[in-house]
Amino acid sequence: MFWRKQKAAIAGFHPLHQALIHQRGFSATQPAAGWAELAASLHRHAGLVRRSKWELPPRMLGVIVPLIAEICTDLGRKGALTVTADLRGHEAPGKTHPPRDLPVRPPVKSATDTWAVDPWLRLRADLRDGSVLEVLVVDRVRTRRVTKRNPRGKTKIKRKVKQVQIIKVRRKLPPDAPGNRPVSPPPRWIRAVVQDGPRRSVTAAAKVTRKPQSHHEQLDWILAVATEPFRWSAR
Amino acid sequence: MTPCAVTTGFFTLGKCGRMAVAGCPACGRAICADHIADGGLCPECAAARGQLGHPAAVAAQRRRAYRQRSSEQYDDTVWYTSFDTFDRSAFDPGAGASQDYLDDGDDALVDS
Repeated sequence: MFWRKQKAAIAGFHPLHQALIHQRGFSATQPAAGWAELAASLHRHAGLVRRSKWELPPRMLGVIVPLIAEICTDLGRKGALTVTADLRGHEAPGKTHPPRDLPVRPPVKSATDTWAVDPWLRLRADLRDGSVLEVLVVDRVRTRRVTKRNPRGKTKIKRKVKQVQIIKVRRKLPPDAPGNRPVSPPPRWIRAVVQDGPRRSVTAAAKVTRKPQSHHEQLDWILAVATEPFRWSAR
Repeated sequence: MTPCAVTTGFFTLGKCGRMAVAGCPACGRAICADHIADGGLCPECAAARGQLGHPAAVAAQRRRAYRQRSSEQYDDTVWYTSFDTFDRSAFDPGAGASQDYLDDGDDALVDS
C-alpha cells in the first residue's frame, strides 16, 4: 500500500483541512476557536505530508490563514466567521467563459479571447462591535490566443494572459452607530461608497491590474482595502 | 478585580478585561494569565523587544505594523494616533477611549 503513513496523517487532520487537500476548497461557519483548530492542523501539514498531489494551496497559509487570524480577534463571544475558499485556480471547470472570436486580418489567422472569473475568497464576520464585515476577492483572467501565418507558411501561436484582481470589502455598521467622516480620502486605487440609512454601510472596492508579487503583498492589499470601512466609525 | 489592560482586536479595538494576575515589569500594565508573554512582559512590550514567542506578542506586532502602514497609505495620522491613544489608555482607566472592559454585562463589547 502506497503513501500509508501520509494517508493516516491526513485522516487525523481537521475536516476542513482534509477538504482543502482533496477538493482544494471549503466553506464553513465557525467561531474563533474552530478557526484556531484549523490553523493548528494546517501548520502540522508540512511536517507530515510530502506528496506534491496533497500539497496545500499556497494561498491558504500565505493569505487566508493570516487574514482569518486577524479577523478572529475582532469576533465577539457569539460571533462567527464564515469563510468560502475556492483555491482550484482560474482554470477549474465552471470558472471559464466560452472563448470569443476576435476580428482579424492577415497575417493573423485567428484570435480568441477567453475570460475566467475566479471568486477565490469570500468572508463574512459578525464583529464584536455589532457590525458585519464582508470580504470578496475575485481574480479575472483574460487569455488571448493569436494564430499567425508568415509568408513561408509557418504558423505561430502566441498566448497572452492578463489578470485583474477585484477586492471588495463591505462593513455594515451597528444600527444607529455614530458615524465619523475620515479626515483624508482613501488612496486613489480604492473607491468608497457609503449608503446611509438606519444601518450605515460602507463599501470599499479596488481593482488591481497586476498579479501580487508575494502572499504578503496580497494580504497587504486586502487589509488596505478593509481599512476604509473602519475609518467611517467613531474612534 | 483588576481587569487585564492588554489591547485586543485588529480592526475594532478593545481591552481583554479578564482578571489580571500580574503587572508588566516594563510598563506596569495589568495582565491576565493568558497574556503573559516571554519574560513576564505584556504582549506590547514583548513585541517592542522582538520577543515573539507568545501569539499575543505576534498579534500586537502585526496590529501596530498594520496601523502604521495603513496610516501612511491613507495619509491619515488620526488612524494611527487613535490606536496609540487607545493602547495608552490602559494606564489611565478613568479616561481615554471607551473603557469597554469595565463592563461585564452580557452585551459587553469585549470578552471577559
